[in-house]
Amino acid sequence: MNFLATSIESLGAKVVGWFTVGYGMFTFLAKAGLLLLDRTTWNRATFDVVVKQVYFTAVQILHVFLGYTLVISWLIITIILSTARDFGLTEFASEMTIRVLVLELLPFLTALFIALRSGSAINTEVALMQVNNELDALAHCKVPPMQFEFLPRLIGGVVSVVTLAGLAGLLALLMGYLTIYGMSTAGFGPYTQTIAKIFDFKIMVGLIVKCALFGLAVTLIPVTAGLETPKKLFMVPVSVLRGMMRVFFAIVAIEVVSLALKYI
Amino acid sequence: MAAVADLPDDVARVALDLPLRANLSALDNIALIPLYQRHYGAVESTQQAQAMLDQLGHADIALLRDPDMTPAQRFVTKLARAIILKRPRLVIDRPGAMLYDVPYPAFIRQLAAQAEMTGTWEIFDFSWNQALYQE
Repeated sequence: MNFLATSIESLGAKVVGWFTVGYGMFTFLAKAGLLLLDRTTWNRATFDVVVKQVYFTAVQILHVFLGYTLVISWLIITIILSTARDFGLTEFASEMTIRVLVLELLPFLTALFIALRSGSAINTEVALMQVNNELDALAHCKVPPMQFEFLPRLIGGVVSVVTLAGLAGLLALLMGYLTIYGMSTAGFGPYTQTIAKIFDFKIMVGLIVKCALFGLAVTLIPVTAGLETPKKLFMVPVSVLRGMMRVFFAIVAIEVVSLALKYI
Repeated sequence: MAAVADLPDDVARVALDLPLRANLSALDNIALIPLYQRHYGAVESTQQAQAMLDQLGHADIALLRDPDMTPAQRFVTKLARAIILKRPRLVIDRPGAMLYDVPYPAFIRQLAAQAEMTGTWEIFDFSWNQALYQE
C-alpha cells in the first residue's frame, strides 16, 4: 500500500514537473514572440548578434555538414536504388529517394547535428551564465538578456536549421539524379516532374514549418534548461543532460507528428 | 550586505557578484551599455568604451576576456562599465574581495583621480578594514 502511494506520488511529481517545464518554455516563447513584434527590438545591435549566431551555428560548420550530407545521401540513395532494382521497382526509386531523404531523414539529421553542436553549447553557456550571476549583472546594467542573449540564439537556430536542411535537400536531389541517371541529361525531364509532383504547396509549407520547429527546439529547450539551473556549479552537467534529453524527445515528437500528419 | 544588493536603480555597483560576461572582451563588456541603453552604433559604442579604458589608464586590457585578466584588470573593467552607466551614485561593494592583488585603497584613489565622473563614489567595506583607508 505504502509502495503504491509512493509510486503515485512520484508519478504525480513527475507529471507536475513536466507541466512546469512546459509552462516555463511556452512562457519564454511567448515573451520572445512579443519581443519579436516590438519595433525597438530590431536595432543594429540585435541584428549584429543574430548574424553572429547564424555564422556560428550554420556557416562555421558548413563544409563539415555538406561533407556529412554527401556521404549519408550517397549511402541511402545507393541502398534505395539497389533495393528497388531487386524488387523491380526502379521507376519508384527517385520518388522514394526524395521522400525518404529530402522530406524526412535530412531535416531530422540536420536538427540532431545542430542540437549536438550548438544546442549543447547554448545549454552549457546559459547554465554557466546563470550560475555565475552574469544574467544578474546584465540586468543591473539594464542590458536586456532576452534581446542580447536569447532572442538572437532562437532566431539563429531557426534560420540555421531551415537553411542547412534546405541545402542538404538540394545536395541530395543532385546526388539522387547523378546516382540514378549518371551524367546523362536524359533523365532531367522525368526527375524534375517527380520533384514537382512531390513538392506541392502543402508539402513545402509542412517541410519549412517542421524545420523551423526543429530549429526552435534545438535552441529554445537548451536556453530554458540553462535558465532553470540552480546557482551551483556542479548542477551545470545535470542541466545539460536534462536539456539535451528534452531536445531529443522534442525532435522525435516533431518528426512523429509530421509523419502522422503526412501519411496517416 | 543585503543592503548593498537592495540599493536603488540609480546606483551603479561594482561588486564581486556582478561579474563580466565571460565570453566578451573588456571592450565589448563596456560597449554593451551605450549599444543597448543609448542605442549608439557598434563603432561609436566601442570608441566610447575604449575612451573609458584610456581614461582609467588601462587601454592595454581592451581585448582581454575575463579569465585572462588579473583581479585589478577585472576590477578596472567593472569600474569602467559602472562609470559608463552614468548613474549619479557609484558603489564599490567590498573591494577587498575583488582587489586582492594590489593595495586597494590607493589603487581606487588613483582610479578615482583619473576618472572624469560627476556624482559620488561610495565604498562599502568591512569595518575591520577601515584602517586601510587612513593615510
